[in-house]
Amino acid sequence: MDSSKQMPAALDDLKVVELPMLDPMPFFAASLAAKTMADLGAEVLKIEPPKAGAQDRHYGPVGRSGPDSETRALHLYLDCNKLGATLDITNPRGGELLMRILGGADVVFNPNPPPLNDRLGLAWRTLCDRFPRLVVVSTTFFGSDSLYRNFRGGDLVATEMSGVGYETPFNQVTDPPNHPPLRAAERQADYMTGYTAAAAAMVALEGRKRSGKAQHIDVNQWLSMVSTIRINVGQLSHDAPRSGMSRRLYVRRKTNAGWIYPCRDGFISFRSSPGNFWEGAVRMLESPEWTKEPIFATELLRLKNSDAMDALLTNWFMQYDKEEIFQRAQAQGVPCFPLYNVREVAENRQYKARDFFLKCDHPVAGHFQLPGPPYRMSRTPVTVRRPAPRLGEHNVAIFCERLGISRDQLNALQSEGVI
Amino acid sequence: MNDLPLAGVRVADFGWIFAVPHTTSWLGALGADVIRIESPKRPDLVRFLGATDGTPGINRSGLFHSINFSKRSIALDLTTNGGADVARRLVSMSDIVTENFGTGVMAKFGLDYENLRAVKPDLVMMSGTPLGQTGPLSGAIGYGPNSLAFSGISHLTGYPGGEPSGIGGTWPDFVVGVVMVMGVLAALHHRDRTGEGQYIDMSIAEMVTGMLPEAMLDFFLNGHEQGPIGNRDADIAPHGAFPAAGEDQWVAIVTVSDAEFAGLCEVLNAPALAADARFQTMAARLQNVDALERELSELTRKFDRDDLVTKLRERGIATGPMYNTAEIMDDPSMQESGMHVVLDHKEVGKRLIPVLPVTFSGFKPIYYGGPAIGEHTDEVLSGLLGFSNEEIARLRKEGGVL
Repeated sequence: MDSSKQMPAALDDLKVVELPMLDPMPFFAASLAAKTMADLGAEVLKIEPPKAGAQDRHYGPVGRSGPDSETRALHLYLDCNKLGATLDITNPRGGELLMRILGGADVVFNPNPPPLNDRLGLAWRTLCDRFPRLVVVSTTFFGSDSLYRNFRGGDLVATEMSGVGYETPFNQVTDPPNHPPLRAAERQADYMTGYTAAAAAMVALEGRKRSGKAQHIDVNQWLSMVSTIRINVGQLSHDAPRSGMSRRLYVRRKTNAGWIYPCRDGFISFRSSPGNFWEGAVRMLESPEWTKEPIFATELLRLKNSDAMDALLTNWFMQYDKEEIFQRAQAQGVPCFPLYNVREVAENRQYKARDFFLKCDHPVAGHFQLPGPPYRMSRTPVTVRRPAPRLGEHNVAIFCERLGISRDQLNALQSEGVI
Repeated sequence: MNDLPLAGVRVADFGWIFAVPHTTSWLGALGADVIRIESPKRPDLVRFLGATDGTPGINRSGLFHSINFSKRSIALDLTTNGGADVARRLVSMSDIVTENFGTGVMAKFGLDYENLRAVKPDLVMMSGTPLGQTGPLSGAIGYGPNSLAFSGISHLTGYPGGEPSGIGGTWPDFVVGVVMVMGVLAALHHRDRTGEGQYIDMSIAEMVTGMLPEAMLDFFLNGHEQGPIGNRDADIAPHGAFPAAGEDQWVAIVTVSDAEFAGLCEVLNAPALAADARFQTMAARLQNVDALERELSELTRKFDRDDLVTKLRERGIATGPMYNTAEIMDDPSMQESGMHVVLDHKEVGKRLIPVLPVTFSGFKPIYYGGPAIGEHTDEVLSGLLGFSNEEIARLRKEGGVL
């Protein structure tokens, strides 16, 4: 860990502030966006409400080895590489201190709902006017200035309103009335929004480099999720019949071979479209007679008869284990992966060989591993520079050493609950 | 006035299918000059996918247009020396290279990072593959949705106790798109400060596993192996999609406090439910979540979907309808958002295209329709790369330029 401190980091000239979500709806987009920049070396200050701490101390699994608020999985992951200070930003004096912190920052991520921002003096126009060099990123459920700005949403709501729920589960629904549309595991809509916010913040920083001016970025969770079904919009606008898209069953029908099939010891994901992959699949299957049936002769026919084809493929898959099917399919150049449970993900040889899981030592949670970054940068690798901060861990560093508040003042503010 | 933040940045885009084209449409819309290298001999299969108006054609795909706006296209055969030389010349004048071929394919063309940095020392190059450029399985191929299986998310997505599932919207391809934008812009930021380029190796499966911190840390901290929990949340109930009147109509409802739950019961005209001891506290609702969901479903079924959503929103409760694509496009807030704009295409004319989901206060992104294959070959080769008409004609004759 110490040696990694010497490695160059891509964003180590930037200061980022992450504001706490004060609406009780869990919403981790801003936290992931800030983490993305912290991992790349930016100094990220996470501001947490005094006493309670940020939302990531209250949701999801708890580590065994300590008090809940310091060992929540979300906190240990999302806050790794961040500094942490407590501040009641709803208190006028807390608000003043926040303004001093923002005065030295390059980016602020604010997850709070627009009406609350209005009340707290944190509306984006206010912040942009006051801090012309500050990139202000709002991550909201439905946008800062939209018709729906006052509505509450969140991960599940954004998933269902975006069409992702409509298509999930992906190819299994045979009786929609008894199978609600699903969200994906964990908080994908939060994270999609967070990555979008991080990317957009980098865009604004590039713009600031050229123009000298910062700006506001409105990252709307619902739209961020709709962005992931963009090909459906393109299809519809290019004259696909609307009727076909209005039932979830169609999702199943529109695929050629599906994606997930059972096999002897679990499941695999397998795809035999387009035609060159079908030819590989036929070789993998060792050319059984059924593959020569006229009903499977062309891509369109295989699509039309995909139920029959899926059944025949499944018969074959059920004779083999997932690793064996994976090897056989890949040997013929056919897209296929084994479907892993959590243990298999944690222990698979590919991730191990690439050191995907990073090691972290935390004073309360102990020694553990956590997922690494989504990309490997050859000159500026992501490393664990510091574990997630304990509540208020950097109060002295921020308020006394940086803002010049005396220890006595800090103590007074602490006893008043401002810090 | 409209200073585009990436003006002056050039991207040589060797990407195809979904993820990388989406990335470079972002970059193009933000002002970068994105030049996509395509081969009519081995075209992007997306050019043939998806609904069209019934007329076949390589330049008519709605799928393609939805992820290829704001860029140019040149047609090269990279398997020829002439085509690869043109590509290298383009890279020498570019800031960023993006690609998502299988591992080793760019090297086969002489276009791997080592070769390209020789012509452009401070190059930022991003490669995306299902499992990454190194490791024993680096050569494995798969679409984005295939890599969901490897990542663990398929195992964790599904009805409680049910079978694993893929995720709608060809997840994770369009997540990859924005994550790559983040990666290349961070590398560009580093380059501008230090003069150093770098190579970025993106593994799609690793990205998805990184979006499962709760399951992974629950395993690493506690040895606990999670399974699918449907729409539920470990700490919140109700947290689900509930049926409304009619066929396949659903409403997402989440209440995060006892007061919000009481408000929900009021909207549903269900004082008995509000008074039921099984549902009085969050802990009780979580403990009796099966019964809670059953009873709520019986009540929500009596309501028209949009009527229930309106009433819940008025109460300040987090809610929304399950939409299909057509309903999303018709939603009034979607229509005001500016996310779906009409762009002109060479062969299919004006079509509604989904653009960036983000609003910037300082500038308007620049949007123009997806290119026909090779539409800008001559323009780029003569205007940008400085080839004479004779050289272009020779390259065409030799097959490097298509």
